[in-house]
Amino acid sequence: MLSINFFRYKIALLNVLRNRRRSLITLLSIQIGVVSLILFGGFVASMYEGMRENMIRSQLGHLQIYQAGFNQYGHIEPEKYLLIQEQVQQVSDLVSGLAEVELLTPRLDFSGLITNGNQSVAVVGNGIDPDKEALLSSAITLIEGEDLFPEDQAGALVGQGLYNALNANIGDYLTLLASTADGAVNAVDVQIVGAINTGTREVDNRLLRINLSHAQDLQFTQGVSRLVVLLKDTAQTQIVMDKLSQLFEQEGLTLEMRSWSQLADYYHEVVNLFDGVFGFLKIIVLFIAALSIANTMMMAVMERTPEIGSIRALGATRHEVMMLFLTEASYLGLFGSALGVLLGIFMANSITLAEFIMPTPPGSSQSYPIRIFVEWTVVWQTALTGVLVAVLASIYPAFKASRLLINQAMRSA
Amino acid sequence: MRLVNLAKVSRFFTLGQSRVCALNQIDLAVDKGEFLVLKGASGSGKSTLLNLIGAMDEADEGEIAIAGKALGPMSDRQKSHVRRDHIGFIFQSFNLLPVLTALENVQYPLSLRTGGKAAGASSHKENKAKALVALERVGLADFVNHKPNQLSGGQMQRVAIARALVTEPDIILADEPTANLDSENAQSIMALMKQLNRQGITFIFATHHDYVLEQASRVIELRDGCILQDKQRVAA
Ligand SMILES: Nc1ncnc2c1ncn2[C@@H]1O[C@H](COP(=O)(O)OP(=O)(O)O)[C@@H](O)[C@H]1O
Ligand SMILES: [Mg+2]
Repeated sequence: MLSINFFRYKIALLNVLRNRRRSLITLLSIQIGVVSLILFGGFVASMYEGMRENMIRSQLGHLQIYQAGFNQYGHIEPEKYLLIQEQVQQVSDLVSGLAEVELLTPRLDFSGLITNGNQSVAVVGNGIDPDKEALLSSAITLIEGEDLFPEDQAGALVGQGLYNALNANIGDYLTLLASTADGAVNAVDVQIVGAINTGTREVDNRLLRINLSHAQDLQFTQGVSRLVVLLKDTAQTQIVMDKLSQLFEQEGLTLEMRSWSQLADYYHEVVNLFDGVFGFLKIIVLFIAALSIANTMMMAVMERTPEIGSIRALGATRHEVMMLFLTEASYLGLFGSALGVLLGIFMANSITLAEFIMPTPPGSSQSYPIRIFVEWTVVWQTALTGVLVAVLASIYPAFKASRLLINQAMRSA
Repeated sequence: MRLVNLAKVSRFFTLGQSRVCALNQIDLAVDKGEFLVLKGASGSGKSTLLNLIGAMDEADEGEIAIAGKALGPMSDRQKSHVRRDHIGFIFQSFNLLPVLTALENVQYPLSLRTGGKAAGASSHKENKAKALVALERVGLADFVNHKPNQLSGGQMQRVAIARALVTEPDIILADEPTANLDSENAQSIMALMKQLNRQGITFIFATHHDYVLEQASRVIELRDGCILQDKQRVAA
């Protein structure tokens, strides 16, 4: 025997349909809440992804490999913590054996002064392999001039801010001064071939990129500071890192590794900030929705007081009355959430397709069109929250209904 | 068989500063098969008495027992079950659920038994069959799928009667069931209830109309919360 009171579900549903205007208002408030959370969640997710991929594909790569001790002491005596040629070769062999890897490229860092005869500007320099770096740094855009090629032994790419500060033109020759590995000072000529934008203004104000061999000549060394690994998919970073450290151990290589996540402090700060903002916004949106639901449910209870008295007289328990209203609330929550999800997905896709240009984000030197991801975890969590909030907000009105005194409830007929 | 027993029952209400004694030290025993009419002016305490007998309200003093069970110590849930399993109600303003059809309204109290896994509860299918029989008994077999707002006052009250008798209660409490009906409908409702009484259902019936009295097997007159008169009548 089916021993549920299915009339409860029927009456609750019919009551939802009964006062359509009020139900619509409640549905709307749940829907607005769900839509705004889906849109904001999707926007934040796209922003995180944009930032992450921009950092990975302009500077960090997914993984960086260094000489042991580099991260602790390298900033004081960088010349002592370079990877030697033999290590570079060994690591290249190991890394190229992994299917997840897109490419591996060396970099030699240096700091120096660049001068045009009148003025000198401090630079953060990278000796790079231009061919490979062009693939890794797909997020770097060329503003003026052309790319660096291995054949341009003296060629240099300068950050946009640096280019402006030097007041230079494409094709100009400048002098680059730097200290060598053994502490002397050396100078080489560089020719500006292009000005670039990495997306981060601070970096663009100091950045100088030259051929690796040119940088090695400048510093009298054969070594490199780091090997940067680019993967096919950001999600595989940790897997590859684990594989590599196992391989390095097997081969007796004492190296250090850092993932993009460990290197991207700024990214984590932004993520934490926005997660906080999102959390706060969520609470406000849910609170407003809850107030609206509680209000309409309270009105429903008052309006149906005589009916509540009648069903209690017929033998419905307080629990049954409470369940009747909570069932009604969960219908509203379900319908509202479902409509909200549909509308949210539609709006997220529409906004992304419309390609509205966002104002340039702080600390960034490029602007992007707004993209809103349909984040499935956000979608189902929000939908569930919508139902939950509808039910929770109705507990008090439902409780009130269940506690009405029968004789008084009937008298108000 | 003793169905209702009240011993020294009082009920007070506080309205602002003043305290109203709605029922004052009432002793009352009702046996199976009676057709008891409570009469008295408006405000004399008829509804209050019916509410107490119907386990919808609590006495301030005294003891009430329904079908041998004392209501005083019962929890709200237990009293709900007493209403569901032993008592049927008919109200002045019908009190049908507007969203349900006539048939569903009659089925509803049975579904409370089914949902509450009460002893003797029947399946939804059986409930529907019982509800149909009850509607036939009140002459509304052709109106099963009508919503209350598609029915006349007399028809609504017939549905309410069907709803009260479908659970085969020990006793049906009717609080001025004819007050909102024209005299023709009132007469036929009365005749229906009398007919049901002959079939064995006990009625306690509140009214301030005198024409009801002919049907009564016993008439109790209330005034200011006290029993003024308690007269057995020869069955009509
Ligand atoms: N819930 C209540 N609150 C306050 N006073 C009430 C309440 N119910 C009944 N009364 C009072 O109790 C008295 C008896 O009322 P009632 O039983 O409704 O009389 P009747 O049904 O005979 O017209 C009246 O004075 C009425 O005002
Ligand atoms: Mg009354």
